[in-house]
Amino acid sequence: MAETANNGPRPLEGVRVVDFSWIVAGPQCTRIMADLGADVIRVENESYLDSMRNGMQVFPDRPSLNGSGMFNNMSRNKRGVTANIWHPGGREMVERLIKTADAVLENFSAGAFERMGFGFDHLRELNPNLIYISISGFGHAGVDTTYITWGPTAQAVSGSTAMSGYPEPMPPAGWGYSYLDHTAGYYGAIALLEGLYHRKRTGQGQYIDVAQCETGMMMGGVAMLDYQVNGREYQRQGNHMRWPATAPHSVYRCQGEDRWIAIACETDEQWDALCEVLNADDLATDPLFATNMSRVQVQDKLDAAIEVYTRQWDTRELMYVLQAQGVPAGTAQNSEDKMEHDAQLKSRNFYATADHPYLGPRRFEGLPLHLSRTDWQLQHGAPEFGGDTEQIMTEILGYTADEVTQLKSEIAV
Amino acid sequence: MTAPLDGIRVLEIGDRGEACGLILAAAGADVVRVEMPGFGSAGRRQGPFIADQPGQERSLHHAYFNVNKRGITLDPSTGDGLNVWRRLLERADVVIDSTGPGVLDEINAGHESFANLVEDGKLVWCCITPFGLTGPWKDWEVNDLVQIALGGPMMSTGYDDHEIAPIRPDGEHSLWMGAEFAAMGILAALYEREGSNLGQIIDVSIHESVSCTVEGAFPNWEYAKRLVQRQTGRHSSPARTAPWQFVAGDGGYINLMGGGIPRTRGNWSDLMEWLDEFNAAADLREPQYEAAVHSDPMVATTERARIAEVIGAFVQSRPAEEIYRRGQSLHLPWAVIRRPEQNLDDPHWNSRGFFGEIEIPGFDRKVKVPIAPWQMSESPNELRRRAPMLGEHNFEVFNGELGLDAQQLVALAGSGAI
Repeated sequence: MAETANNGPRPLEGVRVVDFSWIVAGPQCTRIMADLGADVIRVENESYLDSMRNGMQVFPDRPSLNGSGMFNNMSRNKRGVTANIWHPGGREMVERLIKTADAVLENFSAGAFERMGFGFDHLRELNPNLIYISISGFGHAGVDTTYITWGPTAQAVSGSTAMSGYPEPMPPAGWGYSYLDHTAGYYGAIALLEGLYHRKRTGQGQYIDVAQCETGMMMGGVAMLDYQVNGREYQRQGNHMRWPATAPHSVYRCQGEDRWIAIACETDEQWDALCEVLNADDLATDPLFATNMSRVQVQDKLDAAIEVYTRQWDTRELMYVLQAQGVPAGTAQNSEDKMEHDAQLKSRNFYATADHPYLGPRRFEGLPLHLSRTDWQLQHGAPEFGGDTEQIMTEILGYTADEVTQLKSEIAV
Repeated sequence: MTAPLDGIRVLEIGDRGEACGLILAAAGADVVRVEMPGFGSAGRRQGPFIADQPGQERSLHHAYFNVNKRGITLDPSTGDGLNVWRRLLERADVVIDSTGPGVLDEINAGHESFANLVEDGKLVWCCITPFGLTGPWKDWEVNDLVQIALGGPMMSTGYDDHEIAPIRPDGEHSLWMGAEFAAMGILAALYEREGSNLGQIIDVSIHESVSCTVEGAFPNWEYAKRLVQRQTGRHSSPARTAPWQFVAGDGGYINLMGGGIPRTRGNWSDLMEWLDEFNAAADLREPQYEAAVHSDPMVATTERARIAEVIGAFVQSRPAEEIYRRGQSLHLPWAVIRRPEQNLDDPHWNSRGFFGEIEIPGFDRKVKVPIAPWQMSESPNELRRRAPMLGEHNFEVFNGELGLDAQQLVALAGSGAI
């Protein structure tokens, strides 16, 4: 079971979120809410099956809706029901669930949830103080709301892709995963927490319309100002830093296959220490590299000269030696490095273990925050498909066991 | 219409929590940025600057990251500064403290020194630090490059050619990630406080914030002991996949999610009609290509490679914005790769009220900045004030709110405390 130390109350105890989300952005948001103690109940159905349940099967020889590692990680701590909203009995069950909720979340394409019969007006009829939160690529309001996005689409439009990689003529490197799916989930959690707090203080629910592309655009604000004030179009910098311009500031090859270290000297003392650790007298005495200002002028030459030395080092060993001398340096860590060899993450039990009925005990990514009095907890893995239907119907919604059996036989739930 | 955090007073001290203050200020909190007297925050010395001329009030970094905040100067380690800090804390709901583990407590100004306000009082004290408050790396020297390397995004990001180093995406994303989780922690603590009437300490690790933002790299290792490989402009993967990113006819870039291959037969026939308009369908009318529409996008096949090749050739003949607009009109998740500033005049964002206008002292026109990535039916998206000049609200806060008189302010200034 859970390895987090705290077993006391969690900050969102008593909050219920009815969760129609799928893929990554919505589930990331509700994962955070569940970690913080909210009772997150996923509402699922084969007709809009979360494709994450099919992805990354842990036992490829016996695929299962409960066999996805990706899904287990994204939906831990949640509960799950199945309901057929096109059957009157299934729809009634969902509506009874919504009546008990503090919030309803979905991340379908704009307009889809309304077409499923759950527009905000109807949701508010069911539950006048409800918070309804949607996460979509372009938002529900505006002129391009029909546009379809996945993480990479949103990254492209928002500017995030263009801000990654070497300058022209090299193409953008972009992000090697759907960064903005996670970011949209994070901002979804922030917005939902704001909505809950607002409701706690005023009694008022509301409709929150999160636009994933805008979450990416938030992070381009300085570039937008540079263009408006200085007329400068954004230009990629590789791994160099333009503001503030300091050098060395790059990623260097080390011993082994595809092993690298990031080194960033912000002061001359750090530069001197780097030269000493590398035993690089030629760099230490080269007038071209004497000051930060001069180093910034010849950065490509500087990087090549440094890499001659770093190639002879093991990346972790060099990281520890440089950090001991106060030089900002870090291994470009892959998941094996982080999960098996990162002393810091280990000391904070970041990858704690919890059980899953089909997948067994597995490690999970932690929530990167701790509250001293009411901390989050890792309690269990993701819900099995429909795994909590009966319990939730009888314990929360007041159905009898016979009624549940009947609705199941009609494939309503 | 009221903002969610109306009436909440936040003190922000340190340089790694700017984005957290920005998020809370957008939600209506009264965020007071606490800067070093005479010197100011590190962001003031970080470009770009107005007309590329550095200066205390010329940083566009400062201008963006401190929108909606007020600003005071205070050095709790000097003269009567600690007493003034204590009085500010007594009136605050939240502290965003990114000064580093133990830094403020060394001068008796941290959460341990003011445990009474947190443990017996209602103060929420959030520490944002590179590695958290505990652990063997907690005092390591880092910046965004090092954090993105250590946390994992870097090894997933870069180019097909692994002779080229992996990449740190620009934009100080590690600070954003830490700020986002800090905002969540603070909001959860405020929510809980409504019932308990008690504050608490929040320990946010930027390293952990980055480490959990890697998507497939985590389950690939935990469940299959596989490492993902970085690829140009698309998802990292244990095995090579077909390109998604192409150069358009006007030299701009296009992202065709999944190699431009539609996910349904309906999308496919729409796309074929469009290609036919330009005699660009080549051999894609042959049946094996339509059949490939339903294959797993993460598995490379010769059919998918051929489709990507033909579509790649087509988009290289048309302008990037046209590919984007026309593709989306066919319900294809296609996108133009824009630079950030290319969104400033897009009708969609402007129709949502995403941007607001602010002044920047020293510049003669108002400029647009993002407000918040959402619309809330009960709370307006509005900009209340531009970023503060250094010490701009000293009198308002120290005299108007703490009641210090002119003589006391002169003494504090004379000692270097404010």
